[in-house]
Amino acid sequence: MEIKQHALAGTLESSDVQIMIAPANNGISIDLISDVKKQFGKQIEATVRQVLAAYAIENADVQVIDKGALDLVIKARAIAAVERAIEAKDLNWEVL
Amino acid sequence: MEKVEDLFLKMLIHRKEWDKFLTGLHLNVSNSSEIETIDETVAIFAKNGEVLATGSIAGNVIKYVATCTKGEQSAGERFNKIITELMNRLAQKGIYHVFVFTKPMYAKSFGYLGFKELARAEQGVLLEKGRPNITDFLSSLTEKKLVPAGAKKIAAVVMNANPFTLGHCYLVEQAAAENDFVYVFVVSTDRSLFRADERLDLVKKGLSALTNVSVVSGGDYLVSFATFPAYFIQSDEEVMDFQTQIDARIFKNWFVEALGITARYLGAEPFSKTTSIYNQQLTEVLSDVIDVKIIERKKADDNEEIISATAVRAAIATNQLEKIRNFVPETTFEFIEQHLQELQARIKGGQKTNGN
Amino acid sequence: MAVAERLRRTMMFVPGNNPAMIKDAGIFEADSIMFDLEDAVSLAEKDAARVLVYEAVKNIDFGGAELVVRINGLDTPFWQKDVRAMVKAGIEVIRAPKVETAAMMEELEVEIEKAEKEFGIEVGTTHVMAALESALGVMNALEIARSCPERMMGIALSGMDYRVDMKTKSYPDEGELYFARNMVLHAARAAGVAAFDTVFGNVDDEEGFVKGVELIHQLGFDGKSVINPRQIPLVNKVYAPTKKEVVHAQQVMEAIEEAKQKGSGVISLNGQMVDRPIVLQAERVLMLAKAANVLDEGGNYIEK
Repeated sequence: MEIKQHALAGTLESSDVQIMIAPANNGISIDLISDVKKQFGKQIEATVRQVLAAYAIENADVQVIDKGALDLVIKARAIAAVERAIEAKDLNWEVL
Repeated sequence: MEKVEDLFLKMLIHRKEWDKFLTGLHLNVSNSSEIETIDETVAIFAKNGEVLATGSIAGNVIKYVATCTKGEQSAGERFNKIITELMNRLAQKGIYHVFVFTKPMYAKSFGYLGFKELARAEQGVLLEKGRPNITDFLSSLTEKKLVPAGAKKIAAVVMNANPFTLGHCYLVEQAAAENDFVYVFVVSTDRSLFRADERLDLVKKGLSALTNVSVVSGGDYLVSFATFPAYFIQSDEEVMDFQTQIDARIFKNWFVEALGITARYLGAEPFSKTTSIYNQQLTEVLSDVIDVKIIERKKADDNEEIISATAVRAAIATNQLEKIRNFVPETTFEFIEQHLQELQARIKGGQKTNGN
Repeated sequence: MAVAERLRRTMMFVPGNNPAMIKDAGIFEADSIMFDLEDAVSLAEKDAARVLVYEAVKNIDFGGAELVVRINGLDTPFWQKDVRAMVKAGIEVIRAPKVETAAMMEELEVEIEKAEKEFGIEVGTTHVMAALESALGVMNALEIARSCPERMMGIALSGMDYRVDMKTKSYPDEGELYFARNMVLHAARAAGVAAFDTVFGNVDDEEGFVKGVELIHQLGFDGKSVINPRQIPLVNKVYAPTKKEVVHAQQVMEAIEEAKQKGSGVISLNGQMVDRPIVLQAERVLMLAKAANVLDEGGNYIEK
């Protein structure tokens, strides 16, 4: 699947995460800003990558601003951002 | 839970509260031309109608951001809410690359939200978020491989070229003669009589004979510094100082290194106080890393008149093209002739011809 | 009533696009948690909220609360996706807003059944409730309460839009809800489903809030919608049974026990026959008493 356009999902409020996705052509790059980057950075990135993989996305430029979000919130926001970026007509019910 | 709502500056009651709030935080609300650029404003209101936090969008620029902590549940949450709402609205318009001009004290807060600092002056900072960003812009230039291998002396000229005149041409010719390669950046802000695409085209045509010159658009980064928001600065002198500092530092912090620039060429400006102050500031900021050369203005061949784009625009307005025929190259003159009616219509429609 | 009785004193509204409030929703001990995909979520965020609530319902343990979701109205392009996602997530009750006819609930039921089949969930698992928010909805309360008999958990009065439809506004004494409250309650009782009162918007007026709760408790409502966790203990206090009620309920339970032991088909207490409504009431009182922590281990009323 290709990222067709930029997309944004989530908020910058406490316990949330804002994920911005942009088209790219050289793999997946994730730029993470988080107070707990040291302890949870890898995990946060992994969650985002998992969602991208579920949508078979190989090229994307992702900026993640984490405000202390639970893993399930990161997953949900990543799904929302990807759905917006691929201009999906309907939710990918397999991924959910 | 506090909600972010629309604030309509056209509604007297909203405008009053907005003015009161920002003035109370020592922000300047008297610059009507800057306020006119605002597309949308959002705010968090208290029960009695007072503003507790606000932010506005003008194009892809976020400005007039201010928050207070009166009765706030947790510090900083209002700021996050406002910026979230602004970014969502921009996203809905398809705008994912965003600039912020703000006081230095807020730079960190924006940093936490993923904004990266581009340039800093005493009075304010410029930050950006999203893609394509300045690194992308500069990469796209280097990827084009415009500079021939082995070129050591690389000069840069930044011009508005409204329109491209023989004076501009002369400046670039000097740079081309003294350097291996010249980047000519055409300012992309669309506030001039000649549109950005028209100006870029005329510059390209006018310089086509020079083989070591490449003409490119300044993109979102080399813009008319006069358009930089300065709502957070009170005095006019400080405003100009801030604007020129940021302009100079964007160039210094990013363009110089990425493009290997070794010299910047500026045209001397006997008539415009703004431009001479600008030249002076630019020299101060850049001269510790590159050569800054200020070239005297070219005079028209048969008389002693200094060539200026201002004069060209005035001639268009007063329908006296012959006066400026020898101010501009053929390519520019042809364009003016062919589009005279339209240019005059733009002037009649309120397009200013003085200034730059 | 096809849907089992349980404590439903408080239904806490949680905005569906707010992770901070969603993740903490379980700690306030509301009897029901209602995730809102409708009015609390802006148009541009409907899709994001849907996924967020889905993930939350699937992954977070909300204690013993009944999980409800308020989907978008059947006149919007969002509701069907809401239904599919929420059924897949395993939500217990789907609340339809702005219901005005039984036909609307039937339309909802068709969609729910479709989703249950699609995701391999036993048909009939997902319950529904209807929010009445207009004059027409209130007038049709009985037919609505009787619709979807296998799934209907209850009906609720939703005051904000109702007041707009009635061309009035919110008053401190809530007198403008006088008729609607009674209509909704009677319809619910006649149909054998739960009845819920509307949200009290002024979080600062504690006295006014409690007065309202006392009134609806007196009338017989099952519970109240709340938007602020601070309101929950206030509601629970009003719904806590008195000693007299508890003792009477215990007597009923004793009479039932005796009848069982005697092998008698008829239960009698103080010389009067105890029929089913009395038994249900006794069970309800004891359930409320237990939740209000006024019973000790032996099931006896704790004197204050």
